[in-house]
Amino acid sequence: MAVDRRKVAIFSAAFVLRLVLVCLFPSLPDLLTGRVEVSTPVNSFKRLQEGLFLYTRNVSPYDGGVFHQVGESHAMQLRGFSINSIVQQAPLLLPLFALLPDVKSNPLPSAIFYFIVDLVNAHALANISASGQSVQSRLHSAIRKHIRWDGGSVAAWFLFNPFTIATCLARSTSVFTTTAILFAVSNAVSGNSINAMLALGLASYLSLYPALLFVPVVLLCYDQRAPKLPKIAAFIIQNASILLGSVAGLLGLSYLITGNFWEFMSATYGFHLLVPDLTPNVGLWWYFFIEMFDSFREFFLGVFWLHLASYVGGLTARLHRQPLFVITSLLGVFALFKPYPSISDASLYFAFLPLYRHTFPFMRYTFFAIAAILYASLLGPAFYHLWIYAGSGNANFFYAITLVWSLGLSILLADSIFAVLRDEWEQDHPEARGSEVKQV
Amino acid sequence: MPAAIRNLRNKPDVLFVRLPNVLSLLCIVVGVVWLLLLPLNEYSRNTYISENALLPGQVHAYFTGSEQNIFRGYKKELEVLLNEGREEGVSQDVAVTPAAHNKVHSILQAAGLKVATQKYEYTSAGITHHGENIYGIIHAPRGDATEAIVLVAAWKTADDELNLKGVTLALTLSRYFKRWSLWSKDIIFLFTPDSKSGTQAWIDAYHDLQPASVQPLPLKSGALQGALVIEFPFEHNFRSLHVVYDGVNGQLPNLDLINTAVAIAGGQMGMGTNLQEMWEHDDSYQARLKTILRGMTKQGLGYATGAHSSFMPYHIDAITLQPKGEGWEDEMALGRTIESLCRSLNNLLEHLHQSFFFYLLMQTNRFVSIGTYLPSAMLIAGNFTIMAIALWMRTGYYSDSKTNAPAEKSESEKSSDTKGQSMTEEKTKGTPVAERLMAMPLTLVSGLHLLGLVPLWMFNTLSHQYFTTATYVFVVVDVVLPLLLAALLSSGLGLSAPIVPQQYLLIKSFTLLLLGLSLSTLATLNFSLSFMIGLLCAPLSFIVRLQSPSAPVRFAVSTIGLLLLNLLSPPIVLLGVCWYTGVSVESVMTQAAFGWDVWGMWTQVVVWCVWWPAWLIGCVVLGSSMF
Repeated sequence: MAVDRRKVAIFSAAFVLRLVLVCLFPSLPDLLTGRVEVSTPVNSFKRLQEGLFLYTRNVSPYDGGVFHQVGESHAMQLRGFSINSIVQQAPLLLPLFALLPDVKSNPLPSAIFYFIVDLVNAHALANISASGQSVQSRLHSAIRKHIRWDGGSVAAWFLFNPFTIATCLARSTSVFTTTAILFAVSNAVSGNSINAMLALGLASYLSLYPALLFVPVVLLCYDQRAPKLPKIAAFIIQNASILLGSVAGLLGLSYLITGNFWEFMSATYGFHLLVPDLTPNVGLWWYFFIEMFDSFREFFLGVFWLHLASYVGGLTARLHRQPLFVITSLLGVFALFKPYPSISDASLYFAFLPLYRHTFPFMRYTFFAIAAILYASLLGPAFYHLWIYAGSGNANFFYAITLVWSLGLSILLADSIFAVLRDEWEQDHPEARGSEVKQV
Repeated sequence: MPAAIRNLRNKPDVLFVRLPNVLSLLCIVVGVVWLLLLPLNEYSRNTYISENALLPGQVHAYFTGSEQNIFRGYKKELEVLLNEGREEGVSQDVAVTPAAHNKVHSILQAAGLKVATQKYEYTSAGITHHGENIYGIIHAPRGDATEAIVLVAAWKTADDELNLKGVTLALTLSRYFKRWSLWSKDIIFLFTPDSKSGTQAWIDAYHDLQPASVQPLPLKSGALQGALVIEFPFEHNFRSLHVVYDGVNGQLPNLDLINTAVAIAGGQMGMGTNLQEMWEHDDSYQARLKTILRGMTKQGLGYATGAHSSFMPYHIDAITLQPKGEGWEDEMALGRTIESLCRSLNNLLEHLHQSFFFYLLMQTNRFVSIGTYLPSAMLIAGNFTIMAIALWMRTGYYSDSKTNAPAEKSESEKSSDTKGQSMTEEKTKGTPVAERLMAMPLTLVSGLHLLGLVPLWMFNTLSHQYFTTATYVFVVVDVVLPLLLAALLSSGLGLSAPIVPQQYLLIKSFTLLLLGLSLSTLATLNFSLSFMIGLLCAPLSFIVRLQSPSAPVRFAVSTIGLLLLNLLSPPIVLLGVCWYTGVSVESVMTQAAFGWDVWGMWTQVVVWCVWWPAWLIGCVVLGSSMF
């Protein structure tokens, strides 16, 4: 394989930038690890370290009954009610991190491990871009194919995105979910459905919600192999069984590690589903569930999850000609409506958007959306400071800003969907190209 | 009205060029007028005590009579020890001699307090500040050592005078308070060598956040609920009490604390109170406005105005009480005021939280709260955002001159080969939408903002004797750098496609967007700083790259414009303010570096990473009309 010079330059620049940041500001990773915008209970490196401590001493980190007062993280003081387990991350991460040297005494190896994961993610993203699926798929061919960025630029947008850098430096475990999702997609665009399903299985195992991506990923695989595979139903069932098999395998491995199946299941997936920890984050759930009467809790949990899941059907049906864009939009939806979103979810969505460079001319509110996101990313930390440290503000300050953040993301999401739909429409109606349209 | 809007659509020139200018100017004018309206009765409110538990002035203060004899005794002892020390050659720079220092220790111990000391050392701008704090704790007879009040007496006041009577008063109070059985919170008496670094070292160490050069505290109490700083730097009796309340970075104590102090001093003790060095306050519009403006200046500069300032970042409400003027109030009256204040704080059931944290005081009993005054800074910050949005729209939907359009297109086609970007004009039926060439503007704007780190680092690490020279060097740099950058830009940097006029608009749009973003964020943290920087940057909204046909006219106008803009550059403004107030540049910069190193002050970050880059880019845009 010929080495692409530009790509090497971008990758090494991204690596050096991260290294310089860590070396110049040694306190930066710990600062970022503590930020609620970056670290949520389900991806916090600090919690993983606490769990690792117990794990390396042969105490189950998922058995909270005895240990739930051990944790001294700042987040714990803010909790709505007590949580049993220290760790909410998947069990397989524990032996992985047990291999790395101790973070307290020697932080560099684990930091470099995260840098490399970021580069691997960027590589997968470049592959997705190189496949050209975003402009030319089986059922769709974009009109403005010539306006696009190559893999190197797309990777650069991902690698030099401040949100990606912050996530990487904070050593958030959601980067592994990102890796798994990117690998699932990059295998899907080359039609390698088995690998795609295995990667998606890993993503679902790590964070649960990527399982919702199953339908568009299968469609993406099917698009690649359509001429040879006439029966889509059989293809879906076949892939679903691979996915289930891979998840079952991973769960089995986890059982071998932890020794108590239901304990870790309830500590990880139960935690994702039932949202017991209402530590503030950039999402929309925490404030709502703090304010709610307990008797309505189960009902609204159901409603919120149903709302999140309902986008899969709608987007897949409407945009079935471009399954890659369904995945992109769903990632945006997840970044908005997940129970524990962080900026890493937004950075994954922003990583996919440059693939749709050819629809940018149709987008109408980019500037406003980006301005709203910028405002939120500056005002968020400021208001959090006023609330928690200065004591002169309160929770409503921060929540208002998370609303602005969500507004910015949803404008961007809606606008990108509009642009892609318009692109499809122009393809269907060549006679009407260039005419003004109105969204109703 | 609908007809007017329809008309606008047909006149893109008005919509995209004139209207934003008018709107921006309107925002600035309304913002300033808004601030000027605040002192009026219609927009301000009388202060009131929000926290019912405080009950200011409801208890009798017993600090009288015989305590005065003890005060005189302590004072005599300390005076003798200080004078002996001076004769033995202790330099005048040090307020306290070792013997007097030990005496404080022994008096506190004799009064039955637990006493401890803490050594500290700070180095900033090549100057070393060191000293030793002494503090004693009265454990609450009715409490469980979970909460405490701090009384601070610094040997040197905020104005660098010897605070002998203040220290003596604190010592007398420690002995007096120890005998009361009604305290439900611990009371900590803290004696620091100066008002600048001592309290900072102590409060950092109290929260275990001290740097390596500061010793940890051997003795601690509970969460601090409030702090009072006592000053009494002269021998004669005083007339009124000056309440100083500004914290580092413009953070303010809860308004209830100030209200309590004013209510006790005025209502219970019958002495007057002053704010912001307004000795003659006739409650007129001018006096109110002057008080607000003085308060805003202190808040905006963000420096510590006294020993109390260091407490604010830890969410501990604190004020300094300074006796002022010649009158009949003696140290016992001040002591009773402090006793009554401590009794009020002692009543608190929870941390002060009821009243306002964001306010502008215009009189001891009148204020405006954030909801009323914030719009003025937000309007000024908003003017930049409006301009940024307008410029963005303009680059997309409106071409300035029809003649330029084909040239732009050919240039962009060239660039599309090299940079993989293209500028396609979507010819729609209504308005043309142009693709924007954003790579260069984005790089330039972010690069110049990062360049601000250089002066930031330089002015915080240089030794103090070079500050004046460095400032003048920076004045020259500010003249040369924009011209250099403008020349470089118009020559295309020698590597990529030459810059097109659209990119100048984009550069301006991005820098104004960032400026608006930063200033509106800042307005929520430090209203005054945001307001001041916003006003100083206001001309940047209206800077354009001149495109008039004749070169000499362009050259002349842009030279004059650059000269005027240079008058508003950060170093020139600094020099101007120093000249006006008669303070030396070196002392200001030394103080600033000290603030950065010790107090955690971040005014410089705003100056060098928000104001200066925006100003620089404004100059580059204007300067580019020469080339």
